Amino acid sequence: MSKSNMLGFGLGLRSEYYQQILEQRPAVDWFEIISENYMVGGGKALYFLDAIKEQYPLVMHGVSLSIGGPHEIDADYLRQLKNLADRVQPRWVADHLCWSRGSAHQLHDLLPLPFTQESLLHVASRVRLVQDVLQRPLVLENVSAYVQWKTSCMSESQFLAELSSLTGCELLLDVNNVYVSSKNQGFDPWQFIMELPHERIRQIHLAGHSDYGHYLIDTHDQPIADPVWALYGKALSYLGATATLIERDDHFPPLNELLVELSKARSISANVLRAAAPCA
Amino acid sequence: MRLSAQQEAFERYLVSGNSPPHSKLLKQFQGDMLSAADGLMIYHNAYRSRLLSVMREDFPALHRWMGDDSFAQLAMAYISAWPSRHFSLRWLGEKLPEFIRGYIAEPQRSPMIELATLEWAFTLAFDAPDTEPLSLDMMSRFSADDWVNLRVYLTPSVRWLQLQHNTVGMWVAAKAEADIPDVVALSTPLDCLVWRHELVCQYRTLEPGEASALRLLTDGGSFASMCESLLSTHGEQAPLQAATWLKSWINDDLLVRTSRIGTLDVIALD
Repeated sequence: MSKSNMLGFGLGLRSEYYQQILEQRPAVDWFEIISENYMVGGGKALYFLDAIKEQYPLVMHGVSLSIGGPHEIDADYLRQLKNLADRVQPRWVADHLCWSRGSAHQLHDLLPLPFTQESLLHVASRVRLVQDVLQRPLVLENVSAYVQWKTSCMSESQFLAELSSLTGCELLLDVNNVYVSSKNQGFDPWQFIMELPHERIRQIHLAGHSDYGHYLIDTHDQPIADPVWALYGKALSYLGATATLIERDDHFPPLNELLVELSKARSISANVLRAAAPCA
Repeated sequence: MRLSAQQEAFERYLVSGNSPPHSKLLKQFQGDMLSAADGLMIYHNAYRSRLLSVMREDFPALHRWMGDDSFAQLAMAYISAWPSRHFSLRWLGEKLPEFIRGYIAEPQRSPMIELATLEWAFTLAFDAPDTEPLSLDMMSRFSADDWVNLRVYLTPSVRWLQLQHNTVGMWVAAKAEADIPDVVALSTPLDCLVWRHELVCQYRTLEPGEASALRLLTDGGSFASMCESLLSTHGEQAPLQAATWLKSWINDDLLVRTSRIGTLDVIALD
């Protein structure tokens, strides 16, 4: 995968900012949509989606594919996802390495998988199916986890690397999720990042979390924490220029506050890449 | 244990009412800074909290009327009976009015069903399929034959409710965060439309005469037949009244021109 198509620095597209985006054309390189929010018949969401896609590149980010679930891939969901991709023409389509639907219920959460050979083969066959329908590589994100399956025989990052090698899928590195999981589960976040195949990482996510003392929760309702910024800079020194997105899903601040965070990401990226560049 | 069995055990725990995980499930996990039991309870609590939050957002008036504790009790009983089966949480509350019918006794049952149905109508209208409504501009270019052959149906976002109580007043008060009036049974059912107009959800009640005329027209009747039906009540003013209503429905984006005859089921709430 070439990094030459690096999109720059983006924000999650949320309805709270629709009007302001169209009126003020903020300095954002691209927006990421939550795919499911636009799998609807009509109305406000699709109206603004169509208007904003004329002004900015878009990326699709889903939460309901349930790529690791015990059920069949939901054919209706996949059809709607493909229809939306045809409408949006996104730069890429992402979801999470997780399961969100059980055998009888939609669980509406990004649940962790046991990282076993059985899971790997199960997920790989489903990634191939999705990629065949979408006619493009799927981009999969590491999730925040609050438990670890005892049966896991590899780390999440090793699993993602194997999965990418088997299927050609690309990766979305959520730096905040790495940090949250590392604190909850006691692993080295830098080792996690180093185990990922850097050439397969299409995108980075940055977000805020809530600190409950002896554990963290990935709430996406806070400014990005300093240790996450530090890990982001370190990750870029390994990855090189990588499309970066700031996610905010609750306690929405004025758009300017997110733009300030985006400027910080740009600045960190520029500094890291300048330091890494060979001397003239 | 196979992957699918592991996931089924996790799923059973998430949807069960038991907060502390069973030891058999707990043995499947390991913890560090965050213990496995605490980690599982985070998922368990998040499942309930997320679904309850969606129910509060989709039924704000019912929530305000019932109070937080009673609403939470209703919502959790509903989620147990009708767990989410759609990938989008947008559909979570679809069966709440039906659930209330079997879960709540009168005299609360009927007004609760009405309020829940009214609120769900707004949810449905919000993202119903787009369409090109009949406009005055289109009609200004009508030929005589176009008028004769004009048939219309209701915009897909329209939900037509027949209310037996002062539900609209209760909804308006809840939306204004004012005191919600006591339930009053109406002497005759009140027709109420909920729909989307230029991206914004609207509602409007209809007097019986207007409701009958709109029903006739959207059940496949012609404009002439609507005028004719008004003769007994409006005499020679019938065409003027028909034209006035038609203009108002068109200004509200309620009608779509069709060559076919479309109908809409009325949601009767008795």
